[in-house]
Amino acid sequence: MTTRQVRGRMRRMRERFEEAEEEHIEINLVPYMDIVTNIIIFLLASVVNQVPLGTVNVSSPTFGGAGGDGQPDKPALNLTVTVGGTGFTLAGSGGVMPPIPKLPTGDYDYGALTAKLAEIKKEFAEETKATFNADAVTSYEIVVKTLDAMRTYKDEKDQQEKQLFPDIVFAAGIL
Amino acid sequence: MANENPKLAATQAARLAGKKAIRSYARKLADPEDIKDLNITPMMDMMTIILVFLLKSFTSSATLVNLDQNLSLPPSQTRLAAKQAVPVTITKRVLLVEGEAVAPITNGRIDPQLKRDGDNGYYITPLVEMLSKVARREKKVAEVTGQKFDGELTIIADRNTPYRLLTEILYSCGQAEYANFRLLVLKSRE
Repeated sequence: MTTRQVRGRMRRMRERFEEAEEEHIEINLVPYMDIVTNIIIFLLASVVNQVPLGTVNVSSPTFGGAGGDGQPDKPALNLTVTVGGTGFTLAGSGGVMPPIPKLPTGDYDYGALTAKLAEIKKEFAEETKATFNADAVTSYEIVVKTLDAMRTYKDEKDQQEKQLFPDIVFAAGIL
Repeated sequence: MANENPKLAATQAARLAGKKAIRSYARKLADPEDIKDLNITPMMDMMTIILVFLLKSFTSSATLVNLDQNLSLPPSQTRLAAKQAVPVTITKRVLLVEGEAVAPITNGRIDPQLKRDGDNGYYITPLVEMLSKVARREKKVAEVTGQKFDGELTIIADRNTPYRLLTEILYSCGQAEYANFRLLVLKSRE
């Protein structure tokens, strides 16, 4: 086999190989990968920076009778918590309780409110409803904090979070 | 013979050398030493799955809120997660339903002309009209999907919103058959 023959065979072989390579073309996925990587980074960043949001459930007052099939020996509590300019006022079927004044710092005494509601809860363990009312100028932030104080409390004995009055209804009118 | 044998041997040697060179070249063509293209298909599969997962979790998050100087949510110790419901947003400047402006707010008050009963009224006419439309749509959707219309709204309010304005808005929502409210707050452990 001469050098010329060997070169000829090699050329033909290379041509065949290149033809076969040309037939087997792959899609260039690199631009697609760039896009996907950018989107993933963006989504991961937005998931990490997401603000932790929660909800507080309240409802409008419902109208209608209390129902005639209840136990007559158990009087309804009808607890109402009112946020006034000087502090909290609690009222129920039995009457109005002494008000819970603001702290010397000017803040509302949410701890005292929770403690008082915990006392009431011991007497009316089955009751979950309470009505909320406030001054016209009371800010939404104070409303939410008061609702927090009305919903749960931490039992000092077993350090467990327990429910107070989670079913809160906004009063039909305001002060 | 003696002259022919070396010639034959030389020819055979040349043929063998030629075949060897061809085989070596064929091997080189078949198995290139340097990798030309990295196979990125499995990586693409993996990334596409991650992308789909992230997109799904991103879109299924209950409420997307743009917090700015006109809307800052109050903190709360609630543990309830936000749930999808019709959003009513109360910023310092405007009242919105599903992101659409309904009424302007000036100094924590709605313009009395937009209220049915004037300054002391609770009934905010454009809000009731807008929510009534939304309620009709929601009822139709509930009817088609065989679910119950629950009349739930998400209230997204600025932390300085006065209670009077909040009450007016909740009252108006009630007039459009929305009586259950989810107050959107920032979860905190303070």
